[in-house]
Amino acid sequence: MKHFFWLFASFITSAFLLLSQTASAVTLDDLQQRFSHQPVLRAQFEQQRTISGMSQPLKSNGNVLIAKAHGLIWNQTKPFPLILMMNETRMEQRMAGQPPQVITADNNPQMFRFNSILTALFHADRKALEQNFNLQFSYLGKGNWQLILQPTTTPLDKLFRQITLNGSEFLNEIQINDMQDDSTHIRFFDQTTTPTALTPDEKHHFSS
Amino acid sequence: MKNTIFRPEVHRRIAYAWVLGVIALLIALMVVLPNSHLNSSVMALLPKEHIENVPPALEEGFNQRLDRQLVWLISPPQPDDQAPVLWWQQQLKQMAAFSNTSGQMSADHQQQWGKFFFDNRYALLDSATQQRLAGDASAQSDWILSQIYSPFSGISAKELNNDPLLTMRSAQITQQQNNRTLQLNNGWLTSKDPQGRTWYLLHGELNTSSYDIQSARQTVKKLDQLKQLVAQKWPGTQVLQRGTLFYSDYASQQAQQDMSTIGSVSGLGIIILILLVFRSLKPLWLTLLSLTIGAISGSVAVFILFGEVHVMTLVMSTSVVGISIDYALHYLTERMVHGEDESALVSMKKLFPALLLAVISSSIAYLLLFIAPFPGLQQLAIFAAAGLTGAFLTVICWYPWLSRRLPVRKTLRLGFIHRWLFYWQNGKAFRIGIPLIALLISVAGFIQLKTDDDIRKLQTLPPEFQQQDRQIAALTGQHSDQKWLMVYGESPEQTLQRLESLESALNTAKQSGWLNGYRFLPFPSEQQQQKNIALIKQQAPEIIHRLQQAGINTTLPSFEQPTVKPQNWLNSVASEGWQLLWLSLDNGQSAVLVPVEGVTNPVALKQMANSHSGTHWVDKHTEFSTLFSVYRQHLTTLLGISVLIIGVLFLWRFGIKQGLRCIIPTILSLGVALSVLSLSGQSLNLFSLLALILVLGIGIDYTLFFSNPAGTPSTSMLSILLAALTTELSFGLLAASGTQAISGFGLVLSGGIFAAFILSPLALPERTTPEKIS
Repeated sequence: MKHFFWLFASFITSAFLLLSQTASAVTLDDLQQRFSHQPVLRAQFEQQRTISGMSQPLKSNGNVLIAKAHGLIWNQTKPFPLILMMNETRMEQRMAGQPPQVITADNNPQMFRFNSILTALFHADRKALEQNFNLQFSYLGKGNWQLILQPTTTPLDKLFRQITLNGSEFLNEIQINDMQDDSTHIRFFDQTTTPTALTPDEKHHFSS
Repeated sequence: MKNTIFRPEVHRRIAYAWVLGVIALLIALMVVLPNSHLNSSVMALLPKEHIENVPPALEEGFNQRLDRQLVWLISPPQPDDQAPVLWWQQQLKQMAAFSNTSGQMSADHQQQWGKFFFDNRYALLDSATQQRLAGDASAQSDWILSQIYSPFSGISAKELNNDPLLTMRSAQITQQQNNRTLQLNNGWLTSKDPQGRTWYLLHGELNTSSYDIQSARQTVKKLDQLKQLVAQKWPGTQVLQRGTLFYSDYASQQAQQDMSTIGSVSGLGIIILILLVFRSLKPLWLTLLSLTIGAISGSVAVFILFGEVHVMTLVMSTSVVGISIDYALHYLTERMVHGEDESALVSMKKLFPALLLAVISSSIAYLLLFIAPFPGLQQLAIFAAAGLTGAFLTVICWYPWLSRRLPVRKTLRLGFIHRWLFYWQNGKAFRIGIPLIALLISVAGFIQLKTDDDIRKLQTLPPEFQQQDRQIAALTGQHSDQKWLMVYGESPEQTLQRLESLESALNTAKQSGWLNGYRFLPFPSEQQQQKNIALIKQQAPEIIHRLQQAGINTTLPSFEQPTVKPQNWLNSVASEGWQLLWLSLDNGQSAVLVPVEGVTNPVALKQMANSHSGTHWVDKHTEFSTLFSVYRQHLTTLLGISVLIIGVLFLWRFGIKQGLRCIIPTILSLGVALSVLSLSGQSLNLFSLLALILVLGIGIDYTLFFSNPAGTPSTSMLSILLAALTTELSFGLLAASGTQAISGFGLVLSGGIFAAFILSPLALPERTTPEKIS
């Protein structure tokens, strides 16, 4: 459960930063090489979780912010407000009327282990990723691409069946299929890379 | 009395009586010896001061248990290569010295862990869930929804079905937040150092006490072999170890080494000295006889009173040899010089007053050590007093009979002694100059004198021990400085309730910065468990209702769960790593330790403990250092009073002039002793003060021998010279001990005795008409 949580969290961060600025990439190496230093990316998201045994899928939406120097903010607005902040050292979940739930690299180094594997992406370290996943990259034409990851190591292989990323100029979709036949589909839209400066509100979320 | 006991027929009877006495001592020794043991714990030297109100059995139980724990951290050359660690674990399992070892948890083990928590999830509610449930139901339902909607939580339908209130999940998150440095890694508890090395934690519990010298030695030897082997098989593997075993083995090794070197060197020196002076083997056998009987008397007394003897006592007891031999030497010298002029009994009669005063003053000095509540020193006091008395009685009762055919050496060249005494009696330069020099040395030393009562200074551990300890503390977050809160109660339930009432205070203490962290037993009392179940049962319908409204398909679970008994928790894998902190006696009395670290305000913590019933602040190092300081001050006062009383007695007995001549050497010898200590860079502590008391008790003998009107100055001088030499051979060598407490003790004693010897002729009356040097 916690592996899933952290892997996924890290993964989204990295995938966004890696893939968002690639318009006409043809290979994964190209994606990596074209990695530029765009400091900020904002997007809207729409998530749908399908949990087996549940009569209807759970839908939520909101916006997401990725700032290279600060980390990620997952700001869910519907069906209820929920803010998740994470960076390389801590992960915080905040919701109205409750003390924040904090997990730090100090009190749980294990959770942050996957993070380090995946941040390898930042440095175009394809090798580190390949140690844990089977990578299958395909260029679909017209600037569209797809990356399929299949875990090869324990405990990742006990959690995920497959993770699929779809994108063109930016990362547009993540589809996660886990071993218990539950799935999560996230669609991103309205991606922008400006303004590059954080608003006071956003800064506030990263602090503390 | 003095006259009657030296009538031959009376004295013979007394001698026979002492034969019976010695036989009785031997029988007593044979009876007590098999039940006695040698103790080598440094801690055992310290007072057994029981914490107020805490049942001693609980305290001892914890102490014994903690003494038996061993911890290893093993770092393989490759972080994920577990082969050397597995090998180590196997080797430990094969060693008979351990009753219990642990390392890798099996997958089965981890499953049991999950099952235990799942089965008792409502009774063992974590603090975060408790807080959420304390308000209205929305807090918990909102939190559950946040977990379900969060893309990062990885919640599954299975989890929601099994535990719709997500109490297990919350418990796990809370537990992870509490776990600071160690993490579970493939069943191992591991930690990473800043250099990126991975360290695997292993633990072992000894069968026998760490202080059992022989078994401790064997275990340490075996472990050393294992360390070498593991480094050979997997080069680059590093092993760190911690445990009382290693410290106590080191201490006993050092004490044994001290005993064999100091003992053999001083023994050899004394033998050579006796042979040189007496040119006969007989005095050697005689002194050996009185020493042996002295040692037997001392041992019997110590074993009867204490049931054990401490290694440190044994080391220090070798010094008693140097004093008890004095009685033999005084008599034998007398016989050697005057053997043809007087009968054996007359010689004894002549020496008796001085010998009696000497044995009384030395015994009193040693017995003063008994005042300080330190078992090692009390043993020494008893050993010395009984041993000196035994040796004294042997000399008095048997020597006149046994020394009959002692060769007389009238021709002994005593020129230097006569010259030395002549100058003392006639030269103003000697009589004023030498005491003045001693005074100057005393003042110079006194200016630089520092005091230091830190108990850790008494035994300096080798740097590699300290280094390992620091590394282990950094890697595990568990410090070995033995600071903790002890909570106890008449029953397990009362203990746990008291512990629970302490939690908020501990939290406040942490927020106030009084301490950095603490380890709190994660097991609630029966009362709290029932509260937990009642709380969640009451809130659950509303929570489930809210979840259903939000579109989550879920139903109300059953809350029929029994509470968990402490014993069941202890027997389960859930208490892994916590069992050491809990102790329950057969009568129900129980206690729990709350180790704390990073303490900045011990006073506030102590106050906090005092304001909670059944709670005590335990900080052994500080307690003992304070105790050392208190007793050092007590002994200083005692020493001052003793000097004052002796001074008044001398002035009253001998008159002002002679009285001053007797007391000045004594006072100056104390000054020089202190100065030797401070000039050699050591600081004053309890042990140096004990040595000072002995300097007073022994040094005064020398002036007494010179003041004995029946004695011949030159014979007195010769026997005092021999006495001082033998004392130096035993005490002086203690200064070479590797244990700092002992070497400081030896340093003060040898310096003081030397000064007392040099200055003692001042007690001789000044001659008005110069006498020819013979």
